[in-house]
Amino acid sequence: MIRTTRRSFLKQTAALGGAALLPPGLALGQDAAPPALAIARAGGERSADAELGPLARRLTREALAALGGMERFVSKGDVVWIKPNIGWNRAPELAACTNPDVVAELVTLCLAAGAKTVKVGDHPCHQAAQTYRTSGIAAAAAAAGAEVVFLDASRFRTVALGGERLKEWALYPEIIEADLVINVPVAKHHGLARATLAMKNYMGVIGGRRNAWHQDLDQCLVDITAYMKPRLCVLDAVRVLTAHGPVGGNPDDVKRLDTVAAATDIVALDALGAELLGHRPVDIASIRAAEAAALGTADWRSLPHAEREVS
Amino acid sequence: MTAAGRARRIVWLRRAVQTAGLLLFLGLLIATRPREGAEASPWLQVWFDLDPLVLTGTWLATHSVAGLSLLALITVAATLILGRVFCGWLCPLGTLHNAISALRRRGAARRDMGRFSPWQRLKLGLLAALLVMALFGVHWLGVLDPFGLLTRSMTTAVLPAVDVIVGDSATAIYAADPRLGSFPLTRISEPVYRFFRDRVFSGQRPAFDGAMLVALIFAAALVLNLVRPRFWCRYVCPLGALLGLFSRRAPLRLRQTDACTHCGRCAMSCPAAAQPEKPGEWLPGECFGCWNCVAACPVDAVDFAWEPFWRRPRAGSDGVTRRGAIKALAAGVAGLLVLRLPPQARARAYHPALIRPPGARPEREFLQRCVQCGLCMKACPTNALQPTLLEAGLEGLWTPMLVPRLGYCEYECKLCGEVCPTEAIQRLTLAAKKETRIGLAVIDTTRCLPYAYGRSCIVCEEHCPVPDKAIYFVETEVPLRGGGTRTLKQPKVDADRCIGCGICEAKCPFRDRAAIRVTSAGESRHPDNQPILPGAEPLDAGGADPAADSYGDPYGG
Repeated sequence: MIRTTRRSFLKQTAALGGAALLPPGLALGQDAAPPALAIARAGGERSADAELGPLARRLTREALAALGGMERFVSKGDVVWIKPNIGWNRAPELAACTNPDVVAELVTLCLAAGAKTVKVGDHPCHQAAQTYRTSGIAAAAAAAGAEVVFLDASRFRTVALGGERLKEWALYPEIIEADLVINVPVAKHHGLARATLAMKNYMGVIGGRRNAWHQDLDQCLVDITAYMKPRLCVLDAVRVLTAHGPVGGNPDDVKRLDTVAAATDIVALDALGAELLGHRPVDIASIRAAEAAALGTADWRSLPHAEREVS
Repeated sequence: MTAAGRARRIVWLRRAVQTAGLLLFLGLLIATRPREGAEASPWLQVWFDLDPLVLTGTWLATHSVAGLSLLALITVAATLILGRVFCGWLCPLGTLHNAISALRRRGAARRDMGRFSPWQRLKLGLLAALLVMALFGVHWLGVLDPFGLLTRSMTTAVLPAVDVIVGDSATAIYAADPRLGSFPLTRISEPVYRFFRDRVFSGQRPAFDGAMLVALIFAAALVLNLVRPRFWCRYVCPLGALLGLFSRRAPLRLRQTDACTHCGRCAMSCPAAAQPEKPGEWLPGECFGCWNCVAACPVDAVDFAWEPFWRRPRAGSDGVTRRGAIKALAAGVAGLLVLRLPPQARARAYHPALIRPPGARPEREFLQRCVQCGLCMKACPTNALQPTLLEAGLEGLWTPMLVPRLGYCEYECKLCGEVCPTEAIQRLTLAAKKETRIGLAVIDTTRCLPYAYGRSCIVCEEHCPVPDKAIYFVETEVPLRGGGTRTLKQPKVDADRCIGCGICEAKCPFRDRAAIRVTSAGESRHPDNQPILPGAEPLDAGGADPAADSYGDPYGG
């Protein structure tokens, strides 16, 4: 098993990481590709739980800045759909849903980059009115200027996916019609998939009998990811759920990693997330399947990437 | 000013009060929903607290009173002084009946409609029978109590109908996206739809089993107003009958004078058939105190006036006889026996589908309190609480039952106990509620995909809300049809942890009959209905938690 300590990680990425502190493009000359993955983690003193909100916002801001800024993805007048995990009626401290401050900061960044409308919504497992509220996401997103959207069961539309397992499925029109969908999962344990990360987060844009997906989860995730063509994914690993996922509920299963990563390569991001949860990416079947389907690169270290330490 | 002129003002005042009462009722009903804030307000059930029939019945059945229900003494006091003004001025069901009665065709038949009928004694008979039943512990008052009837009908039939109309119309407009010129109609339909969805229905799309029967009875009660004005209040309402008993010596009385020309207008305007037209035969136990007769009288021959309460009112008789009273009591005993004789009513059998909400008292005590109002069903965030038909016996008709195929008991919610007007469902702290077992999940291995069909599926385990999971996996090598094997995670239920919330059944990919189903066995409230000796053989004693994946700390060094 590959164990990456913070020290070795910093050493490995020192050159790239250091270069990434410069404005993108300048670091490796004008021709260098912009980073495909950027990691922001808290450095220095571990902050108190009460100060986690502002820290989550700074981490998000830095991760996006390191990836080239939100302007790289959002054009003036765009409609952006932010798709956090709002699946469960659980408070933010239990890490079953995406951190509300990560979501709120993304809303702010999108609006600052010129987005006309930023919508935030998910198709949750528990009742939406409750998960939106308990997770803190509805309030935080609305305060940042987003339109909080409840998905209506009657308004999903069957779309041709052309996947290997999924020829067609019910998707939410408002999401797939958005100019940009930002996929914002929280890193969690999952009983079947071992880890639930960005690809699995797309289960919240679909309707229908999605509980049947578990019979071939990896291929279904590959099919939906291929259809969604992710351009920007942001992984919330501020708090992660290490056991009894995806719903959790025991505070002892929650661990603070104080990390936010953003990527254009969803497979790379999931691989990083798997490592953060203590797995080798190769042990996560959906990551293997997605790499085989050429949706991205599990060896995220081989990609241009950046790391920033946030105090 | 003439008595009639003054009375006309009073009638307008009454209509305003009635409208306010009806709006208050609807407002409180709509506010009975999951929302922000820790606890539901105890004032949501205030109509039941004001209802002396609920107080009397609960007290007779349980020898105790619930919450704020002593507020009903205010209603009794008002009735002792003013007569049945609760019926005439406040009762929201009465107001609805008033409104429908006003739709009657005007004309010749109306004189007849104002005439007292001996059948109006029926409500007294029903009251006596129901109170006899309550005395022996069968609480069927809610079936006929006006607030039970109205709340149940609104919750299970009328509001879902509103939801269908609003939701389906808005969805159709959304799908077709019609425009008036350049103006999209969705600009109007969507905000209306969202208001109802988020503020009225709190995100659910409510639907209730057996709502048809409730709706038919409610519709009949409303339509009968066309046969006789306020038919329900005159002939059926046991609360009206009870208040009628209190109003017989009320000092505010109708004074009938010799000026009467026997034109009959007072009788035509009287919704209660209280005989204002017969001098000396006014019926204070029937009169709603609505002042219509005073306002209608062209010669001021009738008016309400104060008399000392010790003076016998000059009043007629509704003809209640000892024979009639004995018949009513006998009917009560007969009804009691009919409801009590089935084995389940004698606690010798438990219905597997009768999963009561968390905090529900043991069945006998539960039935002695539940007034079948359906407020818990209105409050339930997942639409899981449904009215029974016969699962709890005829005695438990329309009492709440969790139907996990339709919804589940939300782990973080305890609202049903907070809105129950009679504490049939007790108020629990959230911590206590999370420990309360309402049933037990049972896996049907002839359906469950990893057992029966060699496919992987973890949906029940995934959704299990118990923090350390009441569903765990056993990895099993399953032989395949073409030879070889596949390792599958087969779910099992940890009986020591399962609280019976039903989300596993609600989310199981088998939509018709789930492969994991909750049965009432194991419910905390019944020490008898237990298959398991708790903690006898803990499944994970000393070992690793079977549901937890190994977690390596990447920063552990």
